[in-house]
Amino acid sequence: MLVLIAAVLLEVIGLVQYYYSRKALREEADSRAQSEMVATQLRMENTFITVENSAGGLSWVFTDKLDTPDEIPEIIRLLMENNPIIANGFIAYAPDYLPGKGHWYEPVVSRLPEGLVLHQVGSADHDYFAEPWYQVPMESGKGYWSEPYFDKDGVRKLVVTFSVPVYAPTGERVAVFGVDMELDWLNDLVSKVRPYEDSYSTLVSREGQLIASPPETLEVKKPMRYETMIERTGWRMAVVISEDALYGQINKVSTLVLILQVLGLLLLILIILRTARSQRRLEKAKEARSRIESELTIARGIQMSMIPKIFPPFPERSDIDIYATIVPAKEVGGDLYDFYIRDDKMYFCIGDVSGKGVPASLVMAVTRSLFRTVSAHEKSPGRIVTEMNNSMSDMNESNMFVTFFCGVLDLATGHLRYCNAGHNAPVILNTGKSLLPVTANIPLGIMPGMVFQEQEIDMRYDDAIFLYTDGLTEAENIRHELFGEERMMEALTGLKGSREHLEIMQKEVALFVDGAPQSDDLTMLIIHFLNDVQPSQEERHLLIHNDIQQIPQLAEFVETIAEEKKLDHALTLNLNLALEEAVTNVIMYAYPEGTDGLVDIEAIIRKDSLSFVISDSGQPFDPTATPDADISLGVTERPIGGLGIYLVRNIMDSVSYERTDGKNILTMTKNI
Amino acid sequence: MEFNISTQGAVTTAKLIGRLDTPAAQECAPALEALQEKAGGTIILDCKQLTYISSSGLRIFLTLRKAAVAKGGKVIVRSICPDIRNVFVMTGFLNLFEMED
Repeated sequence: MLVLIAAVLLEVIGLVQYYYSRKALREEADSRAQSEMVATQLRMENTFITVENSAGGLSWVFTDKLDTPDEIPEIIRLLMENNPIIANGFIAYAPDYLPGKGHWYEPVVSRLPEGLVLHQVGSADHDYFAEPWYQVPMESGKGYWSEPYFDKDGVRKLVVTFSVPVYAPTGERVAVFGVDMELDWLNDLVSKVRPYEDSYSTLVSREGQLIASPPETLEVKKPMRYETMIERTGWRMAVVISEDALYGQINKVSTLVLILQVLGLLLLILIILRTARSQRRLEKAKEARSRIESELTIARGIQMSMIPKIFPPFPERSDIDIYATIVPAKEVGGDLYDFYIRDDKMYFCIGDVSGKGVPASLVMAVTRSLFRTVSAHEKSPGRIVTEMNNSMSDMNESNMFVTFFCGVLDLATGHLRYCNAGHNAPVILNTGKSLLPVTANIPLGIMPGMVFQEQEIDMRYDDAIFLYTDGLTEAENIRHELFGEERMMEALTGLKGSREHLEIMQKEVALFVDGAPQSDDLTMLIIHFLNDVQPSQEERHLLIHNDIQQIPQLAEFVETIAEEKKLDHALTLNLNLALEEAVTNVIMYAYPEGTDGLVDIEAIIRKDSLSFVISDSGQPFDPTATPDADISLGVTERPIGGLGIYLVRNIMDSVSYERTDGKNILTMTKNI
Repeated sequence: MEFNISTQGAVTTAKLIGRLDTPAAQECAPALEALQEKAGGTIILDCKQLTYISSSGLRIFLTLRKAAVAKGGKVIVRSICPDIRNVFVMTGFLNLFEMED
């Protein structure tokens, strides 16, 4: 808008300037034309006056010479000798005025090439009495300027006649004295009046005869006409100036200025348009960017929703403790992990797509879907990976590959089968910590038809497996040092909850990179196996009556457990012994003789301990309250009884008694 | 559980075969009484085939030992297996008996 106003102002200034320049030029032209015209007029008039005066003066001389009329032509000749402008000089007498000279008498002195020649022209053929140059002076007594005419008898040029009456001494007008003036000089004079190049001047008689004519070749466009009247002869002089010529310069200049202004304006508009366009483009780009950003945010949401993110994922299960984190370097990333439980087996995986950003995220989504699809009907991680590889290699046009680790953990037994496809070896955390032995294999998506080797390991209670992508070991600080495996192993210290482990790791990484921008996606997954209490297998029950004869069942009971736990014979025997002693005590003392009662024996088998919980509904009886037998006593002093509880205490690592809900509960545990 | 007693002069040998748990110990009460009468002489408890012993079984051993002390006899525990020997160690019985391989 501002620019538009400026432009309009500029144009207005240009126009005003143009207008005033034009006006000034016009005024100057006016004055030049007028002044030249007046000067020309003056020169003409001077000549006319000269002619008039000489003619007028002579007419009076002629009055005296009427008696000797033959002298008159001689006087005329003298006059003409002195005035070369006069072409003819003549005197025309009134009809029959001079005796013997006839009805018409008009002696003429003509300037001919041979000199001044006198001849008489008055005759019936040249009846001058009706001519205005004769009649007007005769009748009015005044001088008369004739119309220009071609003098065919004399000089054969265009001439004009000035005639005056000649008076007789009586005062009667008896003749007319006239001089013919050549007009060539007038043509010359007037033609020279050209105030501008494209201009000319004309002189026209009363009756419209051209005395000085414009040059034939000159064509004046848009003529401006100045006129003046020469009163003496009634002629009109005109100066014609071409408007184009007059304004040509200024027109040229203003046209140039105008063109420049228009060009400038166009340039300005162009600049404004371009600025506006680039502004628009910038806005468009901004819009596009924000759209892409919002799309990326949505994509990130979709990607994150593909990955189990709720922890703990299986709150109803106590045998597994899982935690995972994924931090893409960009909005979306190429890392993935996944896990789910089917048929009491946990299927899990971790992967890292080559590259990052959107392309990687698409491959990641495909990989994750494939994992779910293939593992839905396949239990072997080796076959899962092999099948996934075939699918991915077939459709891999982008030549992106995925390092991948897939595991299937039997939650009932802790048996872990796994298959690695070019991924970093996970860390096994048990009493120590070590990298899981893995066959390297090649990543997924490189070569179809590959067979991926499967491996296996047994996880025990409290073992954990820590999986990660190279975003962890290759996390860089500003000095381009890598976090590395050593720091990673160091951070995996102690037995902790999965979440705590990963949080410590994240803290360590953050401390290490110290604000350096994350260059790769970072994913960690930890699976902590906590299958301690497995009711179907790890907890055994035995219910017997308070009958000594049922004691042998205890041996069978212990035997089964021992077989399962692969306990050695000595330990089995000891456990049997302890259990028998404890149960015998119950049978003997908790229930009064003759009453029927039940003894409930529960064996709880843990990774490294075995507990027997013996409960009965008999009268309160705390075997632990019995003092220990003194084994240092000799044969005689040794009491027969009291050895039972002593043996229990000696064999087991802990023995405790409680009375709850009307029940004696004895719990004894042996560390294995 | 078998408790086979054989006597050759002043030496009475009792062969213990199987598990000597609480019910087995109760079953052995008559055999124990018979043995006690021989406590004045030498009683050899052959434990080669004894696979298990509980405190009730140990009582039998101790009862015999006490009877032998009273009657001036002798109780020899023979060919005890390591597991049961371990029980003897635990209970201090190793010091109460004359052990023989």
